[in-house]
Amino acid sequence: MKPRTPRAIALVAIAAVLIVGGGAYALAASGASGSSGGSISAGAARTTFPGLVAPSGQPELESIGKAHPRPGEVVQAAGPFDDRFLLENLAFDGAAVSGAVRVTSDVSAVLDLEVVAGFYDDTGALLGTGRFVHHLVDDGSHSVAPEELVTFTIAVPSGIAVPAVSVALGVPVLVNE
Amino acid sequence: MRRRISVLASTTVVAALLATAVVTAGTVSSASADDDKGRAKNVIYLLGDGMGRTHVTAARERYYGASGKLTMETLPAQGYVSTYAVEKGSGQPGEADFRPNAVTDSASAATAWSSGVKTYNAALGVDAKGAVVPTMMELAKKSGYRTGNVSTAEVTDATPAGQMSHALARGCQGPVYSDAACQDITVTGAALPTSDVRVTPIADQIARNGTADVILGGGLGRFDAADETALKGHGYSVLGSIATQTTATKTDLAAAAGQKVFGLFNKGNLTIEKSKSERPTSAEAQEPSLPEMTSKAIELLSQKKAEGEKSDKGKGFYLQVEGALIDKRSHANDAAQTLAEVKAFDDAVAIAQDFAKRDGNTLVIVTADHECAGFNIIEKGTFTNAEAATPPANTDSGNTANNSTPSRPSNARDAARSTGIINGAGAADPKNFGPATFRTPTDPAGVVDGSPEAGLWLSYLSGNHTGADVPVYAAGPGADQLQGTVDNIALFGIVGRALRVIG
Repeated sequence: MKPRTPRAIALVAIAAVLIVGGGAYALAASGASGSSGGSISAGAARTTFPGLVAPSGQPELESIGKAHPRPGEVVQAAGPFDDRFLLENLAFDGAAVSGAVRVTSDVSAVLDLEVVAGFYDDTGALLGTGRFVHHLVDDGSHSVAPEELVTFTIAVPSGIAVPAVSVALGVPVLVNE
Repeated sequence: MRRRISVLASTTVVAALLATAVVTAGTVSSASADDDKGRAKNVIYLLGDGMGRTHVTAARERYYGASGKLTMETLPAQGYVSTYAVEKGSGQPGEADFRPNAVTDSASAATAWSSGVKTYNAALGVDAKGAVVPTMMELAKKSGYRTGNVSTAEVTDATPAGQMSHALARGCQGPVYSDAACQDITVTGAALPTSDVRVTPIADQIARNGTADVILGGGLGRFDAADETALKGHGYSVLGSIATQTTATKTDLAAAAGQKVFGLFNKGNLTIEKSKSERPTSAEAQEPSLPEMTSKAIELLSQKKAEGEKSDKGKGFYLQVEGALIDKRSHANDAAQTLAEVKAFDDAVAIAQDFAKRDGNTLVIVTADHECAGFNIIEKGTFTNAEAATPPANTDSGNTANNSTPSRPSNARDAARSTGIINGAGAADPKNFGPATFRTPTDPAGVVDGSPEAGLWLSYLSGNHTGADVPVYAAGPGADQLQGTVDNIALFGIVGRALRVIG
């Protein structure tokens, strides 16, 4: 037997990548070839986007920072989906804001919903924000009827020295079908 | 175990992509040297979301009468498509860890025909273990075809997104990223870096990957000013304005020209045809219909390149067209809206088929991703939902061979499962959604929709998807492969071979 050459090592390396990497990716391709009898070119998928800044943190709304609600008010802050829902039954007791989002378009399931609450002092200055997150996990069961109304409660964040006296609410994330 | 597999999948995808590219490099170029027998120059793939066999039959009877036919029904090759999905972490059919899920969603189904793999509900352009899989539209684009994606839904919704994105979760549509909507650690084991394509908002991907040359539909609210800049940087003519959230109109569409066009006509899904026809002066009525978008997409994709531009060497196009609102209005159990959407979809099929006849070398495929709501035609004057009122007995004192176990000795309502009849009393009562009645062309004069005398009685089983096989109709090169029953992942191979983008 000849000793392994660098080329042979390279071939072994390629084979290893095929075995290991292919276990995840090419398995999928085999699904295609199982049905199509063909092989596919994986390089077609665009997986990087130069210039696109990777997001950090959770979604916020610029309008929360610009809102200055008066004491006692619970107001809506502008967001990208304001034509798709109504805020109902809003209430604020100084410790938490509660209410409901009634989705008004094409509801068979509310897949994702996030409500951001800005809390303000008596001068209308923003003290901090809280968040309600709804994510529907599709486990194959639909034991309840489609629901247009999603109720939420968002507590005033801890550590705020000045009492919060007003709230602005906005929806940066809404996906329903 | 599931977690370990998922981690393996997520960490090996890049190496696997490279490896597979090494193995399959040259597939396309070598295939191009083959003779063109059986090859289609163009493929138009039309998809009625949620359109089951009964949706087709009911629309036929509603608009053309029992002896008539929808255009899709006139295509020569006809069959059925099985649509099941798989669970998260599942292997592919035939693998030891294969775990099917009988009822698919639109995302899993779109991935099946777009990428040729079974995946879990909510996944787009990734397999059930989270690995990126290329889509047919990406493959066609890379091979030099012009590409188009048309939908009456938001273009970030599952069906159009299945060709133009890779996402762990269909809810990651944009305009912003969120952990809850975009990550799925049950698949990947740990949260992915937000730079990973699989958690990049779908709108961001569509605006930057150039997968489709012509993109028409809804969903303007998913895109932002940076997306508009990116689209224009890729050479798109953007109709309306994303930056100011100004929707495009059918007038904008009619005037559109160029190789790459991006037009969104509603901030969300497009408006249903029934509403537009009843409110012709409304702003929503300025949205183009699905047939109008289909016609324009074909015009843009089939045009010759301008003088002086590099020759396209005779490559054709690959166009996907979705009638999305069939599904959305079926979820709502609204038969009148649903049937109008099936009619609009069939009118789009007619436009595609007219082009195919003129062209002579275009494969037209018409199918669905799944059935929605257990839509059915019931006998005039009969009841629905036996469980709600009087379930039939399954015992027979006259012939005990008919008895079954467990038995239902009487047709008494089971109070544990049913509160009884819930529909209103009148056929014209809008609350009386089952059955909904419609006049047909052969009904006597004076018979109106919603009356007991109307000939078409329709009912629903549920408000969600069902696991029923869906119809497929086809014409053109390779259409004979759709005669009979195929699984939805086979559609990938049939289109891929027609376009010679898979070996």
